Amino acid sequence: MLPLSLLRAAQYMPMLVELKNGETYNGHLQACDGWMNICLRDVICTSRDGDKFWRMPECYIRGTNIKYLRIPDEVIELVKEEQTSNSSGGGRGRGGGFRGGRGGTRGRGGRGGLTGRPGLGSSGGGGDRGGGRGGRGGGGRGGKFPRAN
Amino acid sequence: MASTGTQGGGGGDQKGERKRKESIVDLTRYLEKMIRVKFAGGREASGVLKGFDPLLNLVLDDTVEHLRDPDDPMRLSEDTRPLGLVVCRGTSVVLICPADGMEQIPNPFVQAD
Amino acid sequence: MDNQRNNQNQQRALDHTIAKGCANLLDEIDKRLLVVLRDGRTLIGILRSVDQFANLVLQQSVERIHVGDKYGDIPRGIFLVRGDSVVLIGEIDQQKERYAPLKRVEMEVILEAQRIEQEIKAERDARRAQAFKERGLLYQTEAGITEDN
Repeated sequence: MLPLSLLRAAQYMPMLVELKNGETYNGHLQACDGWMNICLRDVICTSRDGDKFWRMPECYIRGTNIKYLRIPDEVIELVKEEQTSNSSGGGRGRGGGFRGGRGGTRGRGGRGGLTGRPGLGSSGGGGDRGGGRGGRGGGGRGGKFPRAN
Repeated sequence: MASTGTQGGGGGDQKGERKRKESIVDLTRYLEKMIRVKFAGGREASGVLKGFDPLLNLVLDDTVEHLRDPDDPMRLSEDTRPLGLVVCRGTSVVLICPADGMEQIPNPFVQAD
Repeated sequence: MDNQRNNQNQQRALDHTIAKGCANLLDEIDKRLLVVLRDGRTLIGILRSVDQFANLVLQQSVERIHVGDKYGDIPRGIFLVRGDSVVLIGEIDQQKERYAPLKRVEMEVILEAQRIEQEIKAERDARRAQAFKERGLLYQTEAGITEDN
């Protein structure tokens, strides 16, 4: 599972994207491509210092300007499920999936993980533990993940 | 996402190569609408989208640049300056979003616990 | 749906085509690694996946913050780090880590320490910027130098 495949598997999931300039974007992944360009929906943009916030209905972000993305823990479970159901009999190659992840991370409610500002906690603003928006989920858990393109 | 590649800015006429070149963002939806664009290096502008191409070069009309704080180039100030009709080079565009619906809000990440 | 298998094959192909003697991250897969980003942040997580751009997937990751001789970890879940924002990747020697002259503290403590440190730094930067400006120069913060291309 290559990093970009994982990103694609995370379609419709909530995620946090930090740009090289330090701004962060919280939103649901709508689409992504092979250059890591992404489209987000229902976005909240946080300024570099974590003191200003903007709401945007959607936005397009160029991949080269991304520093990192934080995606929900469930994605790996999903990828594992998909792989076991698809690769029966297939040889397991080198990065043949996320072995060894225990199922322990699921349903640890209430952390609200990705909605918090990940930043250096530079100001009181973001609040590193996030809290916020009642956790993740909803979007696209129904098993089948429509492919982009 | 984009159902057609033939509208909007130039470059949509070729018959072949359609499937591969299709962008993940459908800019035709933004045509004649106000969009906000952020550029590499930190400049920001909004303008009415008049055209675009697959490389994300943009034509914006009635554009205003949102100026930055002269003391701290990472921060946006309230000042703007009119730019009029501009062409934005695709390679330096880092973010595009519709200008209506974009609003500054108070901290939405209130401490829950 | 064949994507999964394709990915595995791709990764295996990648495996074979990498020349000996080149830096090879595939050997580090499933190990707990320390990753330093260009903005100075330190992440520690289990490397689950890599691609040809050195984009990384880190699972069960924490952000480690150092202030003086104290450090603290903040749980961050899954990271997809873009390769071009990585400065270094290193394996952690659990043995040596134990004898490091560093003191582990709670997340709240380290965040507060970091906040204070950043305030001091911001103040110093502001003074420098002012002094530079009076001399007709532009002061670039340390972060600014490493972050901008």
